[in-house]
Amino acid sequence: MIHAAIHVAIALLLVGVAIIVSRGQRLRLENDLLIATIRALVQLVAVAAVIHLIFSSLGLSAAALFVMLGAASWTAGHRLKGIPGGPVLALTAISTAAGTALLVLFGGRVFPLTPQYVIPIAGMLIGNCMTATSVSGVRFKEELMDKSLELEARLALGLRAKQALTTYTRRATSIALIPTIDATKNVGLIVLPGAFVGTILGGGSPFRAAQIQLIVLFMLLGAVSLASMTTTLLVSRVFIGPGERVVLPEEPRP
Amino acid sequence: MPDDVIDFPLRVEALGLTRGSRPVLRNITTSFRKGVVTAVVGPSGAGKSSLLRCLNRLEEPDTGSVTLEGIDIRSLEPTALRRRVGMIFQTPVIFEGGVRANLLYGLPDQKEEKLSAALEAAGLPAAFLDRESSALSVGQAQRVCIARALVRDPEVILMDEPTSALDRDATARIESLLGSLLERELTIVLVTHDLGQARRVARSGILLMDGTVVAEGDVDQIEAAWPGEELS
Repeated sequence: MIHAAIHVAIALLLVGVAIIVSRGQRLRLENDLLIATIRALVQLVAVAAVIHLIFSSLGLSAAALFVMLGAASWTAGHRLKGIPGGPVLALTAISTAAGTALLVLFGGRVFPLTPQYVIPIAGMLIGNCMTATSVSGVRFKEELMDKSLELEARLALGLRAKQALTTYTRRATSIALIPTIDATKNVGLIVLPGAFVGTILGGGSPFRAAQIQLIVLFMLLGAVSLASMTTTLLVSRVFIGPGERVVLPEEPRP
Repeated sequence: MPDDVIDFPLRVEALGLTRGSRPVLRNITTSFRKGVVTAVVGPSGAGKSSLLRCLNRLEEPDTGSVTLEGIDIRSLEPTALRRRVGMIFQTPVIFEGGVRANLLYGLPDQKEEKLSAALEAAGLPAAFLDRESSALSVGQAQRVCIARALVRDPEVILMDEPTSALDRDATARIESLLGSLLERELTIVLVTHDLGQARRVARSGILLMDGTVVAEGDVDQIEAAWPGEELS
C-alpha cells in the first residue's frame, strides 16, 4: 500500500513541475492543474473503493449491472426524444446487444464468470452500445425528417413501408458504426489501444495483450453493430403506421 | 360495373381529417371523372395536398371513405393501390442511379419497350433511359417521375403542384403533356394554386377553402366562387 502511494507520489512530481513552470511563465494554469489533480485523486480512490466493494459481493455486482444498464438506457432514451417509447426502445437495444455479447463471451468461457471480469466487460459493452443506440436512433429520425418527401415518393411508387425505410436504416446504422469500424481497422497503427497497454503494464506478454485486445475489439464491433441494427429496426416499427404508411413524430406538412 | 362508376372511378364520401386538434378536411364529398384533368384549387392551407394524400392512403382520414371503381381503398392492398394511383410531387424526386434504375425502382424486370414507351409518353426520347440522373434538368426530372408512374400502368395520377418548381418552358411542356396522357383514359387530379393553369389544362375543378369544398364544376364556376383576387 505504502509502495503504491510512493509510486503515485512520484508521478505527482511531474504535476508539481508543471505547476512550477506555469508559475514561472505566468501561464495562470496552477489552479486548473491543482483542481484536476485533486479531483482525479478523490474520484479514482472513490471509484476503486466502490468497485472493490462490488467485486466482493455477487448481489452488489448484479445491482451495479442494472444501474449501468438503467443509466445508459435513460441517457440514450433521452437522446431519442420525439420517438415514442424512446427509453424502452433504448433499454431493449442496449440490453439485447450487450446481453448477447456477454452471453457469448462468458458462455464460451472466454473470460471467467467472476465480478472482476463481468463488471468491466459489461461496462465497456453497455457504454459503447449506449452511444451506438443514441447515434443510430437520432440519425435515423433526422434522415426521415430531412427526406420525408423522398420517403413519400418511395411509398407512392408502391413500396412497402419497411422497404421504403431501408435506405435510411442503412445510412443511420453505418454512421453509428463508423467509429468502431475505424478503431478496428486502425488498431495498433495510430495508438496502442487500452486493453493492449493494460495487459502489457499488468505484466502480460505482447501476444497475450494482442489476444485480449482482439477479443475486446470483436466483442465491441459485434455488440455495437447489433445495438445499431436493433435500434433502427425498433424505430422503424414505431414509425410504420397502418396501410403501409410512415408516420413521423412531427409531420412536416401544412 | 355501373356507368357512373366507370365514368367517375375515384370517389370521396364525407371525408374528414384532423391533424392534432386542427380540422384539415371537413366532410368532403366529390368524384373525379375518368379521362379528364380535375383541378383542385384553393389557397395555401386549404387542404388540397391532404385531400390528394388521402386518395392513395399516404394519409388516413378520420372519417368517410375513398372508393376506386366502387371498392373502398382501405380494402385494397396499399402497395397495389399506390401502383394504380400514381403520384407526382411538387419537387421531382429522383433516386440514386440513372433514369433506367428510376423507372425500374421497386419493380421486377420490365421489358425495354415498356420503359421506352413510358418515357416517350412523358415527352422524353427513349435514349434518356441510359442518362444519368445528375444530367437531368428539373423539368426533365419531373417528366422522368411521370414516366416512372406510367410504367406501373396507373388508372389515376395525382399531381401535387407538379410545376411549382419549374420554369415557364418546363411548365408549358408538362401542361401540354397532360393532354396527351388523357389519351390513356387516365383520371388525373391536379392540385394547383394557379387558376390560370387550372383553366389551361382542366375540364372540371373543385375549390377548397379551409378544408371544405366551396365550389365544384367547370373552371369558370370555380373562378366565380373564388372570393378574392386571382389564385395565382
